Amino acid sequence: MKEQTPVTRAEHTSVTPTDDKPTDEPAAAHVRLDAPSSTLRPVDGAPDGVIELRDLEVFYGDFRAVKDVTMGFGSKEITALIGPSGCGKSTVLRCLNRMNDLVPGARVQGRVAYHGVDIYEPEVDVIEVRRRIGMVFQKPNPFPKSIFDNVAYGPRVTGMKTDNMDEVVERALRGAALWDEVKDKLKQNAFGLSGGQQQRLCIARAIATSPEVILMDEPCSALDPIATAKIEDLMVELAATYTIIIVTHNMQQAARVSQRTGFFTAEADDMGHRTGRLVEFATTEHIFGNPTDSRTEAYITGRFG
Amino acid sequence: MTTRHRTTGGLSETGGHPAAWQGPEIDLTPQRSRVGEKIIRAGLMGSALLSVVVTAGIVLSLLTPLISFFSNVGVGEFLFGTEWTAAFGDKFTWDDKSWGVLPLVVATFMVTAIALVVAVPLGLGAAIYLSEYASERARKVLKPVLELLAGIPTVVYGFLALTIITPILGAFFEFNSIYTALSPGIVMGFMIVPTIASLSEDAMSAVPLALRQGSYALGANRMKTTLRVVFPAALSGIVAAIVLGISRAVGETMIVTIAAGSKAHLTFDPREGAQTMTGFIAQIASGDAPQGSPVYYSLFAVGALLFVITLVINMISIRLVRKYRQAY
Repeated sequence: MKEQTPVTRAEHTSVTPTDDKPTDEPAAAHVRLDAPSSTLRPVDGAPDGVIELRDLEVFYGDFRAVKDVTMGFGSKEITALIGPSGCGKSTVLRCLNRMNDLVPGARVQGRVAYHGVDIYEPEVDVIEVRRRIGMVFQKPNPFPKSIFDNVAYGPRVTGMKTDNMDEVVERALRGAALWDEVKDKLKQNAFGLSGGQQQRLCIARAIATSPEVILMDEPCSALDPIATAKIEDLMVELAATYTIIIVTHNMQQAARVSQRTGFFTAEADDMGHRTGRLVEFATTEHIFGNPTDSRTEAYITGRFG
Repeated sequence: MTTRHRTTGGLSETGGHPAAWQGPEIDLTPQRSRVGEKIIRAGLMGSALLSVVVTAGIVLSLLTPLISFFSNVGVGEFLFGTEWTAAFGDKFTWDDKSWGVLPLVVATFMVTAIALVVAVPLGLGAAIYLSEYASERARKVLKPVLELLAGIPTVVYGFLALTIITPILGAFFEFNSIYTALSPGIVMGFMIVPTIASLSEDAMSAVPLALRQGSYALGANRMKTTLRVVFPAALSGIVAAIVLGISRAVGETMIVTIAAGSKAHLTFDPREGAQTMTGFIAQIASGDAPQGSPVYYSLFAVGALLFVITLVINMISIRLVRKYRQAY
């Protein structure tokens, strides 16, 4: 499949470990995907992708979890991935910073290009990928350490050169709208925070390494409506600086925060194997206002899934 | 009896509450006496109490001989004396012997320290490998094999020390007899590796996957994730594992009896033979110590001291486990 994509690598964005000069500014030369595959019906064209997927397939052992995913994630946009349980949207999300590497037997086919570089190429250092593409999980998972140490963890383990860690931590906590609530108790254990605060701490932890992209896997599913609203506001704020890709079961959330939405579903083949696939990918307005595919319409109107 | 449980609603006229229950009456009082449950409960409590009773019994059985011993030997002389000649001289006189237990205590801690130097790095290394690095298949094979090590009778370890390890060490160090503290210390280290490895591995495996994922997602590699997230989160269990290892080393008898010799003398040189507290008890208890003789009573004094030392170690352990316990 790789020979079909004669994409030139952006010279200034290397994710190989030998490159010790990280690029902080988003690449200027985005690589456009060619005509999307038949499953994709863009309304106003796929965005210039910070990350682009072409014919992505994911296997867990012999089981094909996802196939035919071709889409791009726009810079400083929020892209929502929606669909019923088991449709593969979280699997796709985890491919974007190679978290699937941790699952024994997981295999990725097709192309996952970050600034034109296929992050599954053997010379790519997964640590460099994850430093640039951060992640926030479904359940808040702060480390059993102090609030300060949680935020400082990423910069420390990736060997980020910082003159002043206090500043890095403060900036990240401010960025995650948590600073005012925790500034007097930075040395306290993160487990003393409420669930919503813990999730914002996890966001602060993710942005402390100055990533370009933040992946969020149902970040509000364990939170109450008030905490959810705070995280949603925060996402919109963060989108000024970061490219955000969010998996959500909450369609109102997708409609509220995202600019673009991909709808996934899983369909059984002749053998009865359910494989997730991208049904429709377009602007959020289009998906929720006037979806092209009848399956999308059925899902968003609550008649299915 | 049955009518008590009727609900009376009627809280609201606005329709916000359902109307009062009008249906058939129900009886929620116990319908059966459940004697079996009481018996089971009593049986379970009995098992829990048994260990308390046994401990109390041990203390009580030590008490009378201890009184006899300490009415002849001063507590200060016993605890701080540097010479131990309990097995020498006339069997039935107190005065021709020295009752300073320090040589035995120092030997015990020296052997234990050597064992820990061997067992802590090996045990933690094995635990980290099994928990964080090994494939599922490797773990399934290695962990039972490792735990098998813990089932080898200690007398076998003792012979291993005396007949294999001591001669090998003899090529590097100058020993003045076949009995040394070094060799049984090292072998005892091997013996407690499974204890430390297995319990530490359990503690590390219990750390939620979500914490590891959080660490990997921030760009940490496996070693950093292990050392900075998993290890601290599991520290409480790891400390407990090491302390249990210490307890086993302090109480271990066979290895030191066979390979450390029976010369009680105060030394800090691990190349020399050194009788430990357990070594002394084994030597006298298996030899001829006439009941009522001074050396017979001294067994109880040394045994009680061993009991106290183990108790203190366990108390320190509980403190440390609480101190390092991290909720996650």
